[in-house]
Amino acid sequence: MSHIHLPDGVLPVWLWGSGFIVAILVGTILFRLTKKEELTRRLPLLGMMAAVMVLGAAVEIVPIAYHVNLTVISGILLGPSLIFLATFVVNVILALFGHGGITVIGLNTLTLSVEGVLGYFLFRLFWKVLKRLTPATFLATFIALIFSTFAMIGVVSLGTSHYEELIHKEGKGIFEFHLSKEKGDQHDGEKKESEINIKRFIAIVVPLGFIGWMLEGVITALIARYIYRLRPDLLRLEKETR
Amino acid sequence: MIQLSYLDYSAVEGKSFLHRLSPKLKIIGMIFVLLGLVTLGNILGLLLLYGVLLALFFISRIPTKIFSLTLYPLIFTILFIFISGFQIHFILLVFLKVLCGSTGVVLLLATTPYPSIFSVLGRVLPSSFVTALFLTYRSIFILLNILEETRHALYFRGGFQWRHPWRSLINISNAFGHLIIKGIDASEKMYESMVLRGFKNKIYYRRD
Repeated sequence: MSHIHLPDGVLPVWLWGSGFIVAILVGTILFRLTKKEELTRRLPLLGMMAAVMVLGAAVEIVPIAYHVNLTVISGILLGPSLIFLATFVVNVILALFGHGGITVIGLNTLTLSVEGVLGYFLFRLFWKVLKRLTPATFLATFIALIFSTFAMIGVVSLGTSHYEELIHKEGKGIFEFHLSKEKGDQHDGEKKESEINIKRFIAIVVPLGFIGWMLEGVITALIARYIYRLRPDLLRLEKETR
Repeated sequence: MIQLSYLDYSAVEGKSFLHRLSPKLKIIGMIFVLLGLVTLGNILGLLLLYGVLLALFFISRIPTKIFSLTLYPLIFTILFIFISGFQIHFILLVFLKVLCGSTGVVLLLATTPYPSIFSVLGRVLPSSFVTALFLTYRSIFILLNILEETRHALYFRGGFQWRHPWRSLINISNAFGHLIIKGIDASEKMYESMVLRGFKNKIYYRRD
């Protein structure tokens, strides 16, 4: 749900343009902060985790238009700076397959990396407090997804005036319906209908998102449990009870 | 995602004029398609653009199996219909923009081998980023092979059944966990072999 599946040309230029600028700025700072040897050594791992995220995005749960992101588990394994670069790469690859627009790569990177970075820090926090892997991973994923979904809704609502412009560009559109009895009623109805309704969008996204957050939370917690059983070193946790 | 291999096959084995065209020109073409998407606000213009892209798609003799990839983003776009209050003009506009964008990128990827695309991108983007893109693309194919094996193993353990949702979730999560662990092992081997071949933060392409 946190991924903006908007095509190119729907969001206003200033919005996706600033998304690109901020994403490039953050990316450049992180590139500079990461040691070159460390980055070179971990590039194959970054590529592999990005590929896992791309494959996760390919598993579609059609009735609710949801796919697992696996950003939180990738964030836990890669750390906060590499997950940002991984989400950037994932969004470029996904855009190349027609999954999300090219112009929204910057905004998608920012919203998805919120999920990864927040997921990483929340996981560390919950692990320290709860000392139990499954609830710590579930809670970290669930909360991180709530934040990133609302970040996505925030981005979409920022473009409201632009959507209105798109609707009104062609007046009533290519089909005209004359069902209203009186002229006055018709104008009022049109005015109400043509208004962009972000509340309706939120009313649909949040309940569907809730199912998605739960699903992704459970799947991520089970994945973390599986990894802990076979390769606990990958999670870099202190030797304490699960 | 399995269609990826077809996409790659089409890009490498295709012999049409679009396949033979320089990758740089095709990327410039794609930029023009994007410019069209951003600036065009009328349905007729977008229909014309989509028509041109469709014609190019079929003239280039790209396997029809790949065509479904261009329709995939429509699933998610349905959500955005609710923003407009079901305005037909807005819906058509958004759907056409989705179709033009996805057909454009699929056309680019189905007629251009990915090392050629990354080679062009490498001239404008940081080398580490392009290397990460290349490694991700390579890793997808490695993971697809692992996924195929895992799918068989999963099938023997019950796979996904709506009747047993919890067990199915465990199976799916274990499959992803297995994929991650195998992927990390493969990435370590990949790094070792890259270092043995003299890898220094940059992948050189044939024309570099």
